[in-house]
Amino acid sequence: METLWLVVLGTLTVGYFALAGFDYGTGLLLPFRRREEALQRMTPFFLGNEVWLVAAIGVLFAAFPRLEGELLSGAHSTFTLVLAGLVLFMAAVQLRLWWWLVFTGALMVSVGWGLFLAHLMEAPWPLALVMPVLFALHGWVFQTRNWKLFPVTALLCALPIPLAFSSIDTTGLMAHVDTLGLLAWVAIPIIPLVVLLQWSTVAISSR
Amino acid sequence: MSAVDLARLQFALTTSFHFLFVLLTLGLITLLVIMQTRFTITGAPVHERMTRFWGRIYVINYALGIVTGIVMEFQFGLNWSGLATYAGDVFGAPLALETLIAFFLESTFLGLWIFGWGKLNRWVHLALLYLTALTAYASAFWIMAANGFLQHPVGYRVEGNVLRLDDFSALLSNPTFNSALMHVIFASITVGGVFLTGVSAYHFIKRTPEVDFFRRSLRMGVITTALATPSLIGAGFAQFPIIAEFQPGKTEATPWVGAPLGFMILIGMTLTMVSWVTLPLLIKDAVIRLRFPLYLMVIGIPLPFMAAIFGWMFREIGRQPWLIYGLLKTEDAVSHVEPQQILLSLIVFTSLFVLLACVDWALIARAVRRGPDVAPAPVSPLVVSL
Repeated sequence: METLWLVVLGTLTVGYFALAGFDYGTGLLLPFRRREEALQRMTPFFLGNEVWLVAAIGVLFAAFPRLEGELLSGAHSTFTLVLAGLVLFMAAVQLRLWWWLVFTGALMVSVGWGLFLAHLMEAPWPLALVMPVLFALHGWVFQTRNWKLFPVTALLCALPIPLAFSSIDTTGLMAHVDTLGLLAWVAIPIIPLVVLLQWSTVAISSR
Repeated sequence: MSAVDLARLQFALTTSFHFLFVLLTLGLITLLVIMQTRFTITGAPVHERMTRFWGRIYVINYALGIVTGIVMEFQFGLNWSGLATYAGDVFGAPLALETLIAFFLESTFLGLWIFGWGKLNRWVHLALLYLTALTAYASAFWIMAANGFLQHPVGYRVEGNVLRLDDFSALLSNPTFNSALMHVIFASITVGGVFLTGVSAYHFIKRTPEVDFFRRSLRMGVITTALATPSLIGAGFAQFPIIAEFQPGKTEATPWVGAPLGFMILIGMTLTMVSWVTLPLLIKDAVIRLRFPLYLMVIGIPLPFMAAIFGWMFREIGRQPWLIYGLLKTEDAVSHVEPQQILLSLIVFTSLFVLLACVDWALIARAVRRGPDVAPAPVSPLVVSL
């Protein structure tokens, strides 16, 4: 049961980071591309990845209650940066008033995630800049429809997560097996269903 | 201010902002279900145009509401790590079910509804809206179940210094959950009704050429308000005996906690009365021809939002000093972080949320002013540019 929840949390987190390159990556590339076209291409994917983030944090809270608080409150200011970036990015994309706000939001989110991962790995902070580079690379592959490279950059964006999290020992931090068992009935069918539905959305909107 | 005070202030502000979005989302989706059902059955273009116009407003509000929701969710871990550490096994279950069953699915169904417009079979498209509505209600269900646990903890056992889940069904039959859920649902439907009425009234004030469109919308808004408010008040008063039994000191928690309760009741009564008085005036469109009620309808839009915030203030402040009633004190649940860090996030989030509320208002106002489409246009707010 414990392994199952590690896999669920891993899937959701990796899902978020692999999808994150689409919109944050597009945001980071805005200074260098035709902006209207780039944003238009991103539209069906917009919010698609934040959904994965929300689900991951929900699972973190219920299945790893004694890890969640420490992890988040331990990097309080970093998460303030990530969340502020998210708010800015999402509002700016919809407002479409100043493109540099979209860029700033995307930069804040990706640097924030980089800082958080560097903090987990106890690595020096300049390593944080790897995340915006990876997201931008993934965004570029997505924008240029370079589908052959696509799985590679998706993997690259998601790779830092297992690396960073492998340092955490979850024994004693997880919820009781009763709680885990109850939630498993829900989590297992829902994740594939969401993948299927999101894929349909993308398929329909590109028709 | 101490870390606890700052964290409490931040929670109050972010929850209030978030809840404004939630109310309109739940209210509008309920009315959209009616509109699109009528369109799908009758095929009449006016119902399709109504679904599009109100649907676009709904989508704008939903997309910006998500952002406030994300901050809400992170906040538990950032500022209140003591809550997850102590009660995560129990309190976390409904919370995780909300993110998985409700939110995760809801946004996905909604995405398919937005992008499937005109591309899917219309019955399939209608089914997607029903599923979106159903999961939106499920969201309210699980969040209120989690909140009900904080008001009156049930279904747990103490093991060492943490709570364990003992009986999940007790969480769902919790008396502080059921009537409060109904109260929240009818409050949202009231918001939807008042919003439809007010926006339609605005268009009549502006002498809209879309008389049929906004006449229907206005009638729908008034009737919805008139039908929802009695149940809203009923579900509200049904909570007093429950509070008396489980939280006897609630009205004395702070000297002024009765004030928001009073204001809420006043607004609720006013809306009920006004909507019932308006009902007979719908005959032969008297209310539109009289004109002055139209101004009252526009002014009335913020009222149910304010009432809902007052209601939450009473419910949450009245529980103090407990975070989980009788089990965990608020001051013991706050994270071990420097007050300056909380202050920083408080300033950042509050200013961004004010910005977000303004963006929401600006985008909705813009969609409202533009009026219903003459030629078919996409529903997604993302395709709309300023």
